[in-house]
Amino acid sequence: MDFKLPDIGEGVHEGEITKWLVKVGDPIQADFPMVEVMTDKATVEIPSPVTGTIEAIFAQEGQTIEVGKVLVKIAEKGKSATPKVDAPKVEAVAPPPKAAPSVTTSEKPSQREVTAPKQDHQVLSFTVLATPATRKLARDLGVDLNQVKATGPHGRVTKIDVQMAHGSIEAASPRSSHPSSHSTVALSKATKIQIPAKGEIERIPLRGVRKKIAEAMSYSKRTAAHFTYVEEVDMSAIVELRKSAANEAEKKGVKLTFLPFIIKSLIPALQEFPFLNASLDDDAQEIIIKGDYNIGIATDTERGLVVPNIKSADRKSVWELAKEIGELSESCRTGKIAIEDLKGGTFTITNAGSIGGVFATPIINHPEVAILGVNAIRKRPVVKDDKIVIGDVMFLSLSVDHRVVDGADAARFMNRLVYFLSEPKRLVFA
Amino acid sequence: MKSYDAVVIGAGPGGYVCAIRLAQLGKKTAIIEKEKIGGVCLNVGCIPSKALIFGATQFHRAQHDFEEIGIGFKSLDCDLSKLQNWKDGVVKKLTGGVTQLLKMNQVDVLTGTASFKDGRTIEVKGKSNETVTAASFVIATGSRVVEIPTLPFNHKNILDSTETLELKTLPKKLIVVGGGFIGVEIGMAYAKLGSEVTIVEAMAEILPGTDRELVSVVEKKMRKMGITVLTQAKAMGSRQLNQGSEVELEIEMGGKKEMKTANRILVSVGRRPNSDQIGLEKLGMKLDPKGNVIVDSQGKTSVSGIFAIGDITGPPQLAHRASMDGLIVAAVIGGENAHKDYKVVPWAIFSDPEIATVGLTEKEAQAKGIKFKIGKFPFAASGRALSTNETEGMVKVLIDESNESILGVHMVGPEVSNLIAEAALAIEMGACVEDIIRTIHTHPTLPEAFPEAIESAFGKSIHIFKPPAKPK
Repeated sequence: MDFKLPDIGEGVHEGEITKWLVKVGDPIQADFPMVEVMTDKATVEIPSPVTGTIEAIFAQEGQTIEVGKVLVKIAEKGKSATPKVDAPKVEAVAPPPKAAPSVTTSEKPSQREVTAPKQDHQVLSFTVLATPATRKLARDLGVDLNQVKATGPHGRVTKIDVQMAHGSIEAASPRSSHPSSHSTVALSKATKIQIPAKGEIERIPLRGVRKKIAEAMSYSKRTAAHFTYVEEVDMSAIVELRKSAANEAEKKGVKLTFLPFIIKSLIPALQEFPFLNASLDDDAQEIIIKGDYNIGIATDTERGLVVPNIKSADRKSVWELAKEIGELSESCRTGKIAIEDLKGGTFTITNAGSIGGVFATPIINHPEVAILGVNAIRKRPVVKDDKIVIGDVMFLSLSVDHRVVDGADAARFMNRLVYFLSEPKRLVFA
Repeated sequence: MKSYDAVVIGAGPGGYVCAIRLAQLGKKTAIIEKEKIGGVCLNVGCIPSKALIFGATQFHRAQHDFEEIGIGFKSLDCDLSKLQNWKDGVVKKLTGGVTQLLKMNQVDVLTGTASFKDGRTIEVKGKSNETVTAASFVIATGSRVVEIPTLPFNHKNILDSTETLELKTLPKKLIVVGGGFIGVEIGMAYAKLGSEVTIVEAMAEILPGTDRELVSVVEKKMRKMGITVLTQAKAMGSRQLNQGSEVELEIEMGGKKEMKTANRILVSVGRRPNSDQIGLEKLGMKLDPKGNVIVDSQGKTSVSGIFAIGDITGPPQLAHRASMDGLIVAAVIGGENAHKDYKVVPWAIFSDPEIATVGLTEKEAQAKGIKFKIGKFPFAASGRALSTNETEGMVKVLIDESNESILGVHMVGPEVSNLIAEAALAIEMGACVEDIIRTIHTHPTLPEAFPEAIESAFGKSIHIFKPPAKPK
């Protein structure tokens, strides 16, 4: 059977093959994972629907495949390798892409063996439209034209399509963040970086989560006019409050961190300063103010940074927030995070404090316009009523897109946040 | 022992092009040729046959078409030996030019037969006697005519194409055994010069493999010219008559034997690769069952450092294909990641009218399961064709319904050997219907037929009337 890339989440049209867990000839059991596919932000393992043997694989690691394209051919157990009875049925649903056979290398083994070693040259399907120059570029870059998403008229593959498939340029987020060039076309020429190969180097393909992070971060840095505003806050009251709830947390089996309190304090501040819970629509030249408060939590995982968000955080209690943060971070770490949890964030909190540091200057999580860095709470001398006392002091670093929010507003927002964090009982009136 | 970066064996349209390009890429290059620079194409193939066909066509037109357009003359004759001299001059000019180009590019020309001693050395015997080594070799030794056992060449009146192209006196009766493109071209040329021509083809039709609709236009012209075409007819043997002034051919047709006499017989039943005389067996080079050298998309043979291009690698046996192979292999030797990735190889038959074709035929497109539309435009509706009094033929276009790209273009008619270039470019560029019909074509010229043929597939050709669909 031909197995097509299934619909793996609402609004997901394509996925990048990050890792094949099987190879041609491998036996596979139903419901056992075959391949890791990375969509917008999450990596999903796709299981085999049947028990059988892998007959052919139609996409290489690093390739982006559209939903509905044939990924892999599986010879089902107990059926002949290419079931003749089933063939018309499969075609009736959706004909396999014409390009597929030309990608397999299992054809005519005798001829392959005789003709010279390299088989990097693909036979062009007659239906792939591309000029000789584009074809040469594809060959030089090692891009399979049959797999390139065509943007030209009548499905013609352009040079830019090939460069994009190769990753030397990206439609919205060029890999190289060359400060002076904003045109994607211009960037294609500036991408070759000469790295002196002294000593041993290892080249690791930029793929999966790492690639998405690279794209998202450079895009944000290139588009948003970042500035970071830093303030300190005495967290003594919240430290006390959290301590007082320790017993109940244990009873509930919830890990109560500082984050739920910070979110609680953040919400009324955001409500007062809606421009920080917003997006900038470049094309329409409009600022979009969000009615939802979906607070993203930057989460450190083995694969890299992932940012799930808590939906409608304004309507959740400290306990609900704590529970949800725990669940989200667990599913991020195990790679089982749902796409919906990664989409629709309106404001992000990033917490470097658990590791160390005084403060950081976070990069805004595009298309949001502000991100709050919360840092380590440390005992520091503070002046209270003209006396030096020991306080639980934390630095807050707020990065904001100056295109949308001015410095004064960011400062006013920060004041409001500090107002609640320093005296959480004020939240009762918020 | 001389040592080169690259040595090319064979100076035909594959070899000399490859050698010049290698030199341009800064490679120290030699080319080995056992006969004449230019190979079959320039010396005894494409060029001389086209010159002879041109002469014959001028003569034929003067005889048959001039009166209609008001041109008269007192007497008209064709001095075949003068025509041959002119033709030889054309060949000399071209081959001289190529020799000069090789020299100016500092390619060493070694004259003699080449034979591999091992994978790194080659021995040249003949005018040049030397052994040379090279980092890369390119085999471009081409192909030669096939002999049929029942009708061996006697080089007097049973001739190959080379000899037939050099006749100084016109054969009254000429039999052409083999109705492929060489037989058809030379047969029609001699018919124009005044020979009584019979074409004997073993298959069910002449020009096998060519779109029947195109061939039928040429067949019609053949009948008009008095050429006899015998199909499913096999040449069984021959007998010399009147001390060799005539030859009798025994033909088997539908189980019956028939005798036909002629002054000359041209045997043109195909070509075989020249892979058997250069010591390839010593290298263990892999050949296919027909003796063609097996190469990959970079022209690499199974022996490392040895490449092969053109006819010796199998069909299509066409000079322009060999030249492109040569350019690609030179680039590969020059260190480039070049591959033979052309989608199509156009080709032309210089029959009357000419046939030219590129891309998929209807049968091939059907076999591939591609849904396609067909558009046709007859030259009878072309202003240019009418005004040059050559209105036979048409342009046929196959359009892929899925993306409106051009799958194949098949033409028969005046100058179609020139017209096909645009179609080949269109297919290589992935051009679609809109690209071609929105390109202005000069008026009045024959290429206007291309967009018109495309438009006709959609019922929109301006110069073909199509009644509007009746309202229901």
